[in-house]
Amino acid sequence: MNSRKVQRIDELARDLPPARDLWPGIAAAIEADNVTARAGVPAARRPRWLPAAGMAAAVALVALGVLIGQYTSKQSGIGVVDGGQSVAASAIIPATYRKQRDELLVAVKQKLAGMPPAERDKVAGSLATLQRSIQEIEAALGKDPANALLQELLVNSCQEEMRALTAVRDSGRQET
Amino acid sequence: MREFRILPFAALCSLPLCALAGGGSVDRNIAAEPGGEVVISNVSGRVDVRGWDRNEVRVTGSLEEGVDRLDLESSSGRTTIKVVLPRGNSHDGDADLTIQVPKGSSVEVGAVSADISSHGVSGTQRLKSVSGEITADVAGDDSEVRSVSGDVTVRGSGKPISLRMSSVSGSLHLSDGAGKLDLVTVSGDAEAQMSEASEIRGRTTSGDLELRAKLTKDGRVDVEAVSGDLRLRVPSPSALSTEIESFSGDITGCLATNVEKVSKYGPGVRLNIRNVEDGPRVRAKTLSGDIEICDK
Repeated sequence: MNSRKVQRIDELARDLPPARDLWPGIAAAIEADNVTARAGVPAARRPRWLPAAGMAAAVALVALGVLIGQYTSKQSGIGVVDGGQSVAASAIIPATYRKQRDELLVAVKQKLAGMPPAERDKVAGSLATLQRSIQEIEAALGKDPANALLQELLVNSCQEEMRALTAVRDSGRQET
Repeated sequence: MREFRILPFAALCSLPLCALAGGGSVDRNIAAEPGGEVVISNVSGRVDVRGWDRNEVRVTGSLEEGVDRLDLESSSGRTTIKVVLPRGNSHDGDADLTIQVPKGSSVEVGAVSADISSHGVSGTQRLKSVSGEITADVAGDDSEVRSVSGDVTVRGSGKPISLRMSSVSGSLHLSDGAGKLDLVTVSGDAEAQMSEASEIRGRTTSGDLELRAKLTKDGRVDVEAVSGDLRLRVPSPSALSTEIESFSGDITGCLATNVEKVSKYGPGVRLNIRNVEDGPRVRAKTLSGDIEICDK
């Protein structure tokens, strides 16, 4: 494996040619559009709902951001994770949320380790179910990003995951 | 001179008694206010709370050898009962306690694996256990019952209160509820039976939720599941409005006569019934769970 690193910007190649000639495909697409226009066939238009759907998706993600912000401001004294990995890596859920969750997971794993095996399996199974559910919703959202139901379920599931993780982390805190 | 002969003997006799401080039976009482606060903490074993007509708290029961001591204190209307384990031992040492409290008290119980039961208390109750089961009669407003993996069974008084029940893996069961209910579980099943329900919120991830609730004239139900099923029987004094939708589950029941697809080509079904704006209303959503709704 070549471990050489670039030291200066001018060491980089000025041109990076594509692996194949892209022009024939582009020309064909332009010609197809021209043919359609000459035939009087209306070109495919963007659906009217697309901007609204985009707005809805944006609102949902902002809501998730607000949720994370609220959670972050409420939490204090959570240990910093050293290399903790998210169980449910995600492209939709913001990185800040995943970081908070991973930090919480470290404390939860410690708590689970101190539980009797039967109880530990039961609780860990529930948390895994919650994470699988979030992944399922994310997968569905990947195919249908504008779906308001999926957006709502995702935000609520993330909120529920935080509640459950916090409940496990704090369990028995006052009693012992 | 005689006192000096007795002293070593008395000291010798007191040794077993000292040991009993960390194990054996307990029977202690302390004066308490009729509407005061009682806070109970026990790690494992059992806590049985009972409301009575006297203005005192009485603690009876047994402590295992692993228990260090039982602390009982009361001041400014607040009585605390705490089972103390030796430092470094956070689990071993059962304490089985029956605690009689003035019936108007507000009660807070915290436990790890201890089972909790409570009967005859009319004040607010906050009951929480990690893995122990909770069984309670709850009549006080603003009450809360929660567990991590233990099952929870609550019986209401039929009078409207605000009640929160939550768990992670445990099941939730409510009977004779009324007023406002907030029900949350991840994988446990939830079941609630209510009369005069004004506001119900429920959420499960994979557990099923069954609700039988007679709604008030402006009653609201808002429930959600990811893969769990929702079964809603919600009689109401006037025509019900609904906003029900599932991404890949089915919608059935006596109200499900006009279920429509959300979009022509994509997945999803919904049941939107519009009636009086400020009338009773049900909102239910799932990802893959089925929804059954009936107003009879």
